[in-house]
Amino acid sequence: MQEATLSFKARAKEALADPTLKIAIDRTTGTAERKRAVAMTQFPQFEAARERGKRIKDHVIANLDHYLLEFERNAIASGAKVHWARTAEEASQIVVRLCKEAGAKRVTRVKSMLGEEIGLPHALDEAGIERVETDLAEHIVQLGGDRPSHIVWPSMHRTREQVSEMFKRLHRAPHQEETIEAMVDSARRELRDKFLTADVSISGANFLLADTGATCTVTNEGNAELTTTPPRVHIVTAGIEKLVPSMGHAIAMLRLLVRSATGADVTQYTTFHCGPKQTGDRDGPEEFHIVLVDNGRTRMLREGMKDMLRCIRCGACMNHCVVFRQLGGHVYGGTYPGPMGAVLTPVFDGLESSRDLPHACTMNGKCQEVCPVAIPLPTLLRGWRDRSWREGLEPATVRFGLGIHTFVASRPRLYRLGTAIAIRVMRLFSRGGLVKGMPGLGAWTAYREFPAPAKRTFMEMYKDQEKGQ
Amino acid sequence: MSARETILDAVRSGLGNTAVDPAAVRRDADALLQDLPSIRPALLADGLVDAFIARVTSPKVAATAERIASASELPAAVGRYLEAFGLPAVVALQPAAPLQDLDWSGFELHDKVAPDEMIAIGVARWGIAETGSLVFHSGADTPILANFLPLHHLVMVRADTILPFLDDYAAATAGQRPPRNVNIVTGASGTTDIEGSLVLGAHGPRFLHVVIVGTPDSSE
Ligand code: SF4
Repeated sequence: MQEATLSFKARAKEALADPTLKIAIDRTTGTAERKRAVAMTQFPQFEAARERGKRIKDHVIANLDHYLLEFERNAIASGAKVHWARTAEEASQIVVRLCKEAGAKRVTRVKSMLGEEIGLPHALDEAGIERVETDLAEHIVQLGGDRPSHIVWPSMHRTREQVSEMFKRLHRAPHQEETIEAMVDSARRELRDKFLTADVSISGANFLLADTGATCTVTNEGNAELTTTPPRVHIVTAGIEKLVPSMGHAIAMLRLLVRSATGADVTQYTTFHCGPKQTGDRDGPEEFHIVLVDNGRTRMLREGMKDMLRCIRCGACMNHCVVFRQLGGHVYGGTYPGPMGAVLTPVFDGLESSRDLPHACTMNGKCQEVCPVAIPLPTLLRGWRDRSWREGLEPATVRFGLGIHTFVASRPRLYRLGTAIAIRVMRLFSRGGLVKGMPGLGAWTAYREFPAPAKRTFMEMYKDQEKGQ
Repeated sequence: MSARETILDAVRSGLGNTAVDPAAVRRDADALLQDLPSIRPALLADGLVDAFIARVTSPKVAATAERIASASELPAAVGRYLEAFGLPAVVALQPAAPLQDLDWSGFELHDKVAPDEMIAIGVARWGIAETGSLVFHSGADTPILANFLPLHHLVMVRADTILPFLDDYAAATAGQRPPRNVNIVTGASGTTDIEGSLVLGAHGPRFLHVVIVGTPDSSE
């Protein structure tokens, strides 16, 4: 129990002590935030589009069995093979088995969060299959031997200096000039022949189209198409919540997804993949497999987390999260970081090991405000907190609260933002006049319970607990 | 029980086991695509071609565009482009009749695109004014890799195939058997993976030049 808490605290501490991490996070999330804001001014229909997007996803979830069957029927008719996986392990096993059946020595992968979620990189490595990540950021993550720290920019935690050093050390013909352009070129050279000589490609899907059985990928680099076209076998892994009724619905969702993620109107490459190579086609895979993955999604349906199934993985909630922007993605410890990760990780990893995450939140509501499908993230996080109390996991949670609060409070700008929220949160946390388990009260182990915050300001209380340390 | 049955059962019990009427689901789904103008951006200009070009050349898409009156002028347009970049007249030409039928004398042509191909010329089936996108379908005359391997991608699109919105493309192809790949290409390949700064030519083309042929009501 304590170990997870300590490791989260340790991770947070490490993140705060890292001199380059904050710079790296700011460079990417700052740009993303600005570009999204500009995109919104150019899209006055956003509010209406968002409401519609929410309804589209809700409609799909409400008829999920119907759409799954329709998708399966049409995918099979297009020549695809459809597989179903209850768990992450089952999904990885299916993919590894398909790779082995194809006699694959080398597979190329298009970044997919579902792939990360089911532990696919690890499973492939274990199976002794050479795995080539083709998304530039995932390539950087692979070279660095670490994990993605953002769902849209997985290597966001790396500064250009670090990337340059890695490329120089590991690329066959690395860049000479110290520019980002030259580094991107170096990766282009490095990966070129690997695209063309892989035996199997693996991608995710941003959308599954029920009425045709097609899957949709969006990328800016063009790596999805370069990855999935040459190999003899293409395997798609996708969560069952990715369904939409038709291309028209996918388009409505795309307008929301891309603006929210990068501020562009549409990604450079939006591709619909439908079945294997057709008669006469000049290129394309001969086998096309789709693995439909549950891994906790039907449990979310049962356990009151239906809203979260709308998530289209745009990353806006983390780009706008004060906690994420201080600590980056790795401290969240799961596949998905930021507010959406704090909601999802307890689903995948269990609340016991991840109960700190729902507390790593100031409840400022910004994530819900920017979410393109209006997911009530703070409410869902509160739900986890409540459950954590009910299940008697509070003490450890509070100890974590100190860590997270210490970093917020030691940053004046953040702190000012936080204080207004704090009182509100504290009321929320107050039970019968006593504050129980309020994140930020580090001396909780000494005090056990605090009076509700009627007379004292948050700052006073905070000073007290600092002294108590 | 198979994984498939387990998942479907879990979905049904999660939803409360209500019976689904496919016709009603269909109606609801259609209703969600009503009143599209209220949920999509307006075009940048009144005329379709103008709106398309405005998008293609906007900073966000950052491609270049030019208009020619007839397809027969394409080789000359390509020649000018190559000259401006100081590139040799060695090009990969998409094996599509509208391109193959043109007079390419003075060019060295091939139809197989090399991994480090410098220049490829293609033809898009549709243009989309909303986003400045080009739409390709995989097929006997459209290798998909040709859109992704070259450094310079020059694409011809007929003005009368420019559609206002992405939804119009979906409507135009609804009910048809989809090709293996539909590529909706918007600008050159780019990445913001290193510190969020945009660099073009990540894995795909670094330059995209769009040549619009004719006018919306010409059948050239
Ligand atoms: S929760 Fe909302 S904002 Fe966050 S990634 Fe999902 S869709 Fe985007």
